[in-house]
Amino acid sequence: MRTFALALVLVVAATMVIGIAGLPPHGDPDGPVHTHVGARYLEQGVAETGLRNLVTAVLLVYRGFDTFLEVVVIFTALVAVLALPSATRQPPPPRGEGAAASRREADDAVPVSPVVFLVVRLLAPFIAVFALASLYRGHVTPGGGFQSAAIIGAMMIALGLVFGREHAARLVPHGAKAWLQALGPLVFAAVAFVGWRLTGAFLGFPADEAAYALREAMVVVLEVAIAVGGAVILAQLFMALDAPS
Amino acid sequence: MTTLGPTLLPWLVALPLAGAALVPIVARRDARWAGGFTFAVALATTALASVLVAQLASQGPFSADLGGWAAPYGIELHFDRFAAWTMALAALFSFVIPFSWRYLDATLPRERWAPFYALMLLNLGGLLGFSVTGDLFNLFVTMEVVSLSSYALVAVAGRGVAAWAALKYLLLGAVSSLLVLFAVGLLFALTGSLNLADVSVRLAAAEPSGAALLALASLAVAFLVKAALFPLHVWLPDAHAIAPSPVSAVLSGLVVKVGIVGLLRVLQLAAGTGISLEPLNTVLMVLGATAIVMGAFLAIFQDDIKLMLAYSTISNIGYIVLGIGLASPFALIGAFVHVFNHALIKVTLFLAAGAIIHQTGYRTLSDLRGVARRMPQTAAAMAIGAVSIVGLPPTAGFVCKWYIALGAFEADQGGYGFALVFGALFIFVYYVRMLDAFFFRSPVRPEVADAVEAPWSMRAPVLVLAAACLVLGVLGGIPIGFVEPAVVDLLAALGR
Repeated sequence: MRTFALALVLVVAATMVIGIAGLPPHGDPDGPVHTHVGARYLEQGVAETGLRNLVTAVLLVYRGFDTFLEVVVIFTALVAVLALPSATRQPPPPRGEGAAASRREADDAVPVSPVVFLVVRLLAPFIAVFALASLYRGHVTPGGGFQSAAIIGAMMIALGLVFGREHAARLVPHGAKAWLQALGPLVFAAVAFVGWRLTGAFLGFPADEAAYALREAMVVVLEVAIAVGGAVILAQLFMALDAPS
Repeated sequence: MTTLGPTLLPWLVALPLAGAALVPIVARRDARWAGGFTFAVALATTALASVLVAQLASQGPFSADLGGWAAPYGIELHFDRFAAWTMALAALFSFVIPFSWRYLDATLPRERWAPFYALMLLNLGGLLGFSVTGDLFNLFVTMEVVSLSSYALVAVAGRGVAAWAALKYLLLGAVSSLLVLFAVGLLFALTGSLNLADVSVRLAAAEPSGAALLALASLAVAFLVKAALFPLHVWLPDAHAIAPSPVSAVLSGLVVKVGIVGLLRVLQLAAGTGISLEPLNTVLMVLGATAIVMGAFLAIFQDDIKLMLAYSTISNIGYIVLGIGLASPFALIGAFVHVFNHALIKVTLFLAAGAIIHQTGYRTLSDLRGVARRMPQTAAAMAIGAVSIVGLPPTAGFVCKWYIALGAFEADQGGYGFALVFGALFIFVYYVRMLDAFFFRSPVRPEVADAVEAPWSMRAPVLVLAAACLVLGVLGGIPIGFVEPAVVDLLAALGR
């Protein structure tokens, strides 16, 4: 069986390598990748979308529907975890005298080194500012909603590791959690609707010069929703992990 | 009014997805609202799909350019006669959701209701997107929405076996998804485009290359895994049998059809490129016929009714794939109508089985003897579903299998026609076993002897669906007349 599996893997791999060898040379300026759709994005992208970062132009304007679905995939990952038995298996937090002790035990199974504690505390605000910068400049320079979401999410997880889950959980207001985790898909649907009313096309962006500010606002709103929604989902995925037993 | 179709088409996908994001918000005060809200979204989606089908019937196929960017620069959604099955998709979800209300009461703690219903809507949205998209990368992303939500819906059932079934499903599903992504990469490198129609045209213009062949083969294999075609079916029986019954209905009736719709896209992609489909068709015919017989054969040995239904899906996928492989007009029409009809029948059967399991607590034929005495309506619905899936007239299953058999003789492949009849005999055997146990044996379990009929929220969907199996049998000409022009176009494009 093992020999058969190995042989199968080798045959499939060889077939794939031979197939890939038949592709147009990588980086060839005359290759189809650079002469067809991509060329049009490069030539007219800035004029058509008003965005100087062409990656953002493709991501949000030319192929915004894909990004909508990507955001939906991230949301799916969260509800998938929340739907699983393990995510909700933790017993309700104990009350009263023994509560604090048992909580500390659960959270601080391994005591945090003072160096790590201090560094995370010290760096957290800077990480947050960096996330905001990459978000704010995202439609002009490299960066954007997804990157910002990853940075904020990582910061929240780092804080959770150092201060304990309970404290980190407070970073996401409990009442707003359901809204914040759904921010990506909901804002995309809303912007798609606005674009539809304005331009007649689903997820359309107004193209004329006069609507520059409006278009800019739609892009920024999308980026913020991706960042905040993504970060909240990342943090919640971390919180949903089983407590060490 | 002429633009109504293209204007509404994107919302067919966006509505259930946005609805899914709202489910946890709606359920914050009271988890019970999640079910009602989800039902409302499913109904609205069904209504939307009906409007689109009406537009299609009056004006022919239409496309929507998302963001206003004409293909191939933007993403194109396309609504043709094959995509019209989205109406059946949304409608069947509208039956499954109310069935889930009482079912979840007994099987899931309340805090997990909202994520469950959200996953159902995500699954629906993904399926709709997959069925209407005209873009390769979009096809991949919608498939991921479907797959991810499906894995989770299997795992919802519990830890032990369900977790393993879900993991097996996830591993094989991930391999299949990666193959699709690999193929998308190859096709993009070859053509510089992601629009399906544009890729097809540009492949036809380019020199024939091994890479194009590899891409199409990868797509075909990936979709056959998703369709659970024998011998790529190993993930299916456990996953479909262990999932909660409403989920089994969705997975077995609808989600496996992702593979079939995907296969159809491969055919459309290959049409006109000069790449010969003969080898693929031969493989499809051989594997399809094998799947019919093996699926039915393995089903005979199952005592667990849901496992039996799961193997029956493998057999029925065989029918559809055989029909596609035969590539004659009758066979293709039969195959595509069976995509609808099998969905209807399998949802009926799984929901009826779910109602019986929910009311008695037992799931094997030996435990469920005599259940028809106490649950006559549900058992009758199960019987109608069984007769339909065997393919006896006058039920929904008869028309398609008849057409596929005719197609086999039409394509001068009479041998496959016999495989088909042979498979139907096996299927007949195992459903007779089930009906015998339910109707003609005495109860051996006190829970079965004292069972009561399922509550109306479960019984009504089952009864209406069973009635639909009969109606679609009598009016079988309607779906056939509906897909016929699309099949003629496809065959013309394939040069037949």
